Amino acid sequence: MRNKDLTFWLFLAPVILALGAVVVIPLLAGFFYSFTDWNGLTFNNFLGLEHYLRLLDDGRFLSSLWFTIQFSVVTVVLLNVFGLGLALLVTQKLKSSNLLRTVFFMPNLIGGLILGFIWQFIFIGVFSDLGELLGIAGLDGWLTTGTTGFWGLVILTTWQLAGYIMIIYIAYLQSIPEELLEAAKVDGASPFQRFRNVTFPLVAPAFTISMFLTLSTSFKIYDQNLALTDGGPFNSTEMVAMNIVYTAFSSNEMAYGQAKAIIFFVFVAIIAVSQVYYNKKKEVEM
Amino acid sequence: MKKTKLTMMTIIAGAASLGLLAACGGDDNGNGGNEGSGDGEQITLDIFQGKVEFRDQFLEMAAQYEEENPNVQIEFGAVGGGSDYFTSLRSRFSSGDEPDVFSLAGPSELADYQDYAEDVTDLEATDTALEGTLDGITVDDTVYGIPFNQEGYGFIYNKQVFEEAGINPDEILSYEDLEEAVQTLDSQKEELGIEGVFALPGSEAWVMGNHLANVYLAPEFNNDVMEAYESDTVEFERGDEMQRMLDLQNEYSIQPVLNMDYSQQVEQYFSLGDAAMIQQGDWIHPTLEQMDPEFAEENVGILPIPLEGEEGKLPVGVPNYWVINSNADDEVIEAAKDFFDWMYASEEGIEVVQEQLNFIPAHENFDPESINSPLSRDIYEYSLEENTIGWVFLGYPTAWGDDFGAHVQEYLGGERDWEDVLEEGTQEWESSR
Repeated sequence: MRNKDLTFWLFLAPVILALGAVVVIPLLAGFFYSFTDWNGLTFNNFLGLEHYLRLLDDGRFLSSLWFTIQFSVVTVVLLNVFGLGLALLVTQKLKSSNLLRTVFFMPNLIGGLILGFIWQFIFIGVFSDLGELLGIAGLDGWLTTGTTGFWGLVILTTWQLAGYIMIIYIAYLQSIPEELLEAAKVDGASPFQRFRNVTFPLVAPAFTISMFLTLSTSFKIYDQNLALTDGGPFNSTEMVAMNIVYTAFSSNEMAYGQAKAIIFFVFVAIIAVSQVYYNKKKEVEM
Repeated sequence: MKKTKLTMMTIIAGAASLGLLAACGGDDNGNGGNEGSGDGEQITLDIFQGKVEFRDQFLEMAAQYEEENPNVQIEFGAVGGGSDYFTSLRSRFSSGDEPDVFSLAGPSELADYQDYAEDVTDLEATDTALEGTLDGITVDDTVYGIPFNQEGYGFIYNKQVFEEAGINPDEILSYEDLEEAVQTLDSQKEELGIEGVFALPGSEAWVMGNHLANVYLAPEFNNDVMEAYESDTVEFERGDEMQRMLDLQNEYSIQPVLNMDYSQQVEQYFSLGDAAMIQQGDWIHPTLEQMDPEFAEENVGILPIPLEGEEGKLPVGVPNYWVINSNADDEVIEAAKDFFDWMYASEEGIEVVQEQLNFIPAHENFDPESINSPLSRDIYEYSLEENTIGWVFLGYPTAWGDDFGAHVQEYLGGERDWEDVLEEGTQEWESSR
């Protein structure tokens, strides 16, 4: 296969240039700036690891990191459960399955900011009215505490992304050969056994992809966070991405924010890569 | 045949990458054009500012100026509120696409850009600026900016509700007067058709951290934003008074406060008459006007936030300054200076500004009667009579107000007691200085 001639590189050139200009160069520059006292315009001193050491003492950053981890664990589980559940539902022989697919996928087409504001209205306005009507005190005052803010974000994210994950599962579910399920049925396997021992192992590659997608998305969430709670009340629902933006653009500590971003990048990369590696090992080949 | 196809593809791919390169380089050309052609026939003034809400009016004004000065062309760029603007400004400077004129908010923003700021001490537009409005942009007696306008805040109240409850707002001066009025209003909630006396937007950290705190911190810094900017610590001498006022607002506010935001406060509660008064400023006028023009015109008044010993004074300050980029070409700088002299210090300019902008002017020679918004009119009167408290919050350490506001939220949420909030505030102030 001749693939290293001039044409090859020429075709690649636009992509390499674009990727280099907007991803590679800024990443390297950012890495460099995180060691300086860069303020967005100029830098005067080389500070070495100072920003990184300061991170360890930054309670607000650490608590936003912890919040993000909790949030990610919960949303990854919920998203995959709901994604798979919905996929199983719409791959049944239902008349309305096409309509349902569209409906479940729809939230994904709305931007995170808009969804955030819509759900803010639901949590604050609709929930409190419902609570009053039904006499459930727990529905009042949503988003006024860290806990309700947390669950608000989880609900919003799950609602938005479950349809997308559903699509991935549908693709894998539909590629399972009918004869395998039939053979299991003939052998006397119950529906649950068929799911557990035939379907489940065969959709494992979908788990790898969905887990990767959900994990990396839920770690990096920003717009939903901004629109729904804006980190409030008292910064208790501030996620890492928001904390970084706040440090860089509100506190004007560009280099420090950059250091946080580098740590965040490494953190997400390690988790995502090891997750893919681990899941890959568990997949079965058909 | 195969050969030609390959050549074709090579050419296309080559052209595509060239196109990309050209696109990257395109900015420089644009910038070169901005600087004007050098021999003074046509000067382009590139103005960049953070008040999108005034963009149309500014454009109109610029058009008028261009008519009288055909050799000047003004380009108004605007980016939406607050931090967004500052971010874009920063990226414009770091990418080399510097605007000729830009806006800054106060001493801490000036500190970053002082190297780029032209000395405007001798301009007429700074000469006629009202007493005190230049403090925030002056370093060692050199003035670096021209005040945009003034803004003021306090308790904005619903005149009709006050009247029905038999309260005379002019008599509310001290905290005790206010408390009494609040209790009167609260006791007649049903008859007055209000849901609460106040609407305290607990989710907006700046309302508490910047604005409310400012009233009680101003005496400590002698109402001087520069004194706040230079201070190494904050004592909270009036901390108890602030707590008392916060508690009053919280207790008589529509609940829950912690998820209430600015738009709920202003649009949903105040403009629809569910809250009798809110702590806000004259900038809510356009919103009120959109909701109900008659209400905005007839039914809205402003009360000072009572401060012991300083009763009847309103916090008034300059939210933004025009700064001329000293890196711009000399004739561009001259053109910018002429433009601002025209805008704030010439008769036609003042007339245009008054007509176009619902500003509270920061300059002399404006006629209070011609200001459109009744809130702005009231505030301009306070400012002319010098019944004002300074805006020291522009001299807070960067982002301190938001952080302090977050601690106040913790207090409102019962997560922290007041002593703790103040202590934390002092500590954060000291560590960022």
